[in-house]
Amino acid sequence: MRETLVIAKREFLERVKTKWFVAMTILGPILMVALILIPALLAGRGAEGAKIDIIDQTGKLGPALVQAFTAGDEHWKATVVDPAATDEQELARVRTKAINGFIRVPADGLTKGEIVYRGDNATNQTVGYTLKATITAVVYSERGAERGLTREQLAQMLTPPNVHAFHTTGATAGESGGGTFLIGYIIAFILYMVITLYGINVMRSVVTEKTSRVVELMVAATKPRSMMSGKILGVGGVGLAQVAVWFLFGGIALAYRVEILQALGAGANAATALPSLSVIELGVIIAYFILGYLFYSTLYAAIGATVSSEQDSQQAQMPVTMFLVIGMVSMTAITGDPRGSTSAIMTLVPMWSPMLMPLRYILGGATPAEVAMSLGILAVATFLIARAAAKIYRVGILMYGKRPGLGELVRWLRY
Amino acid sequence: MSTALSVRGIVKKFGNHVAVDDISFEVPKGCVYGILGPNGAGKSTTLRMINDIIAPDAGEITILGGMKPGGDAARSIGYLPEERGLYPKMRVIDMITFMGELRGLSAAEAKKRAGAWLDRLGLSQWAKNKVQDLSKGMQQKVQFATALIHEPALVILDEPWSGLDPINAEVLAEVVEEIRTSGRTVLFSTHGMEQAEKVCDGVCIIARGKKILDGKLKDIKRAATAEGLVALGFADDAAKAKADVVLADKALVTEQRPPRPGDVADCEVKLADGADAQRLLAALLAAGVAVRRFEMVVPTLHQIFVDKVGAAAAVAERRPEGAHA
Repeated sequence: MRETLVIAKREFLERVKTKWFVAMTILGPILMVALILIPALLAGRGAEGAKIDIIDQTGKLGPALVQAFTAGDEHWKATVVDPAATDEQELARVRTKAINGFIRVPADGLTKGEIVYRGDNATNQTVGYTLKATITAVVYSERGAERGLTREQLAQMLTPPNVHAFHTTGATAGESGGGTFLIGYIIAFILYMVITLYGINVMRSVVTEKTSRVVELMVAATKPRSMMSGKILGVGGVGLAQVAVWFLFGGIALAYRVEILQALGAGANAATALPSLSVIELGVIIAYFILGYLFYSTLYAAIGATVSSEQDSQQAQMPVTMFLVIGMVSMTAITGDPRGSTSAIMTLVPMWSPMLMPLRYILGGATPAEVAMSLGILAVATFLIARAAAKIYRVGILMYGKRPGLGELVRWLRY
Repeated sequence: MSTALSVRGIVKKFGNHVAVDDISFEVPKGCVYGILGPNGAGKSTTLRMINDIIAPDAGEITILGGMKPGGDAARSIGYLPEERGLYPKMRVIDMITFMGELRGLSAAEAKKRAGAWLDRLGLSQWAKNKVQDLSKGMQQKVQFATALIHEPALVILDEPWSGLDPINAEVLAEVVEEIRTSGRTVLFSTHGMEQAEKVCDGVCIIARGKKILDGKLKDIKRAATAEGLVALGFADDAAKAKADVVLADKALVTEQRPPRPGDVADCEVKLADGADAQRLLAALLAAGVAVRRFEMVVPTLHQIFVDKVGAAAAVAERRPEGAHA
């Protein structure tokens, strides 16, 4: 045990002392926010100031469309062209970049006719949204005018009702559905990221010991089991420290969210709608982080022991990483129906429960009994995996050369 | 209690290859003991078994009066592996301190001793550099420190002289001598016979996994001397011609050979069974031979090694894959 702690201390200090660790701990949350914000910002950027031509064969919508597009948030430049203009002529203008695209409103465009946009920015989601919203509004208002409605009557009719979805499973009146989803999603993502990052870190550290041949010095001084557990403990400690700092930042941000959001120009309403985490929820997150990390890091340690070089390890880790990715991709299945049977099954499987169960629990999809059962299965699975991994590790770290086949691995388990 | 290490009948196979085949030897406390043999003889495999890195398939190893390899014994052993390796990104001082802690020292004590070792090895100015910044020779010195920092009762060094320049080789020889003086034991492997001859009290020569001979170096040399090789020198060619008549007597001499390279004797002869040097000398003098030199040859360890192991065994056997485990 003493040796395990000495090794854990070394592994911990070696990582914490690096500039990388300091940078990632401070920049991590910023990067994560950037990961979400930048694509959204870029998506909007691409839609701004688009130049389009309008071929209006109804003879009624053209000027209204031009006005609506120009006045819109995206400040488009729209021009009504000759209704007889052919697609070929307009496509030529797109080719020469004179315009981004053109709208063709057929003669029956106000009723059933298909209104078509062709342009180089049609893949942009904001463009799609702006086109649909603007054209719909103009068509509605023209239809209204044809039936003798005044502008005021129309505006009244088209004002959307104030619908809001609250998340609840019956225990409370409910919190903002979007907010709960966001928090659950962010936490599942952090769990996925940290487990992958530090699991792979354990593997790389094992491979480095092999390639630098320091492993022989270590095996002579201590037991392979102490080496493996010390390494997992030390690296896990680094992960825990990092997550703790992130949660601290997150906690402060949540506590002062009203002030922060107001400073950023958002209304206080949006801020108060964000739900917070209870102590029990935090406990569940930490329990799954620890067990999930142990589960995957022992697997990664065993993989590290079976290979002799970094390159080999990249290939060998694929099956394990695939499990993690499947879990990550399945998050939508949980958010879509937290109380459904797919969610219930996936959160019991030890490969996925570390990421998915905290999400499901935060969404209120799981009862405490279900969480306990899932944790129990994960704990037993972790114990079994750790035992097998320790055997593979013990034999593997002193082996160089060809990667062992499955048959040989089974033989190692029986040593 | 006077035995530091006792190895009895150990065997290690890798697949069909027998790396160590029934090797036994005893290392008394307070001596410097060498395991000698050509490449691939099984030296490293033997040392690894003593360090509990691999387990023998058969046989028994007892360390410092009763301990088995591994466990508590690990704290009483200092080990320099043949595969030199350190944590490349660790600071030199931290690396030595870490190994000290791992072998049972407190963090503070380990750090203090690590500093002292760096002074001793002339590496103080590198203490805060990363291991990977050091030259290979310097890294090897750091490894000595990691093997010795906890003042182990049994120091095991696998090919310690390989890769050392003459000055550092001298430093190492001094350290080995110091350990012996303090009553502790050194066990090392080498194929460099000259170095071994300088520092060893006892040796065990192995080849192709089998023991060829073992014992105190003095006894081995005495036994080799008793095999009756005499180097002869004569005053002139006439004396040599007279001597040849005497040396032709098969009751006295079984074989006459040219002197060893570098020796200025006229010839070397092997005494017949039952004959002794005194009788040969008396016969030569009786025949009126002007003898200028008459010397019982004390073979060097290298000569004994080559005689015993044979030229064939000196060719390294290719190790099968996995044998390095």
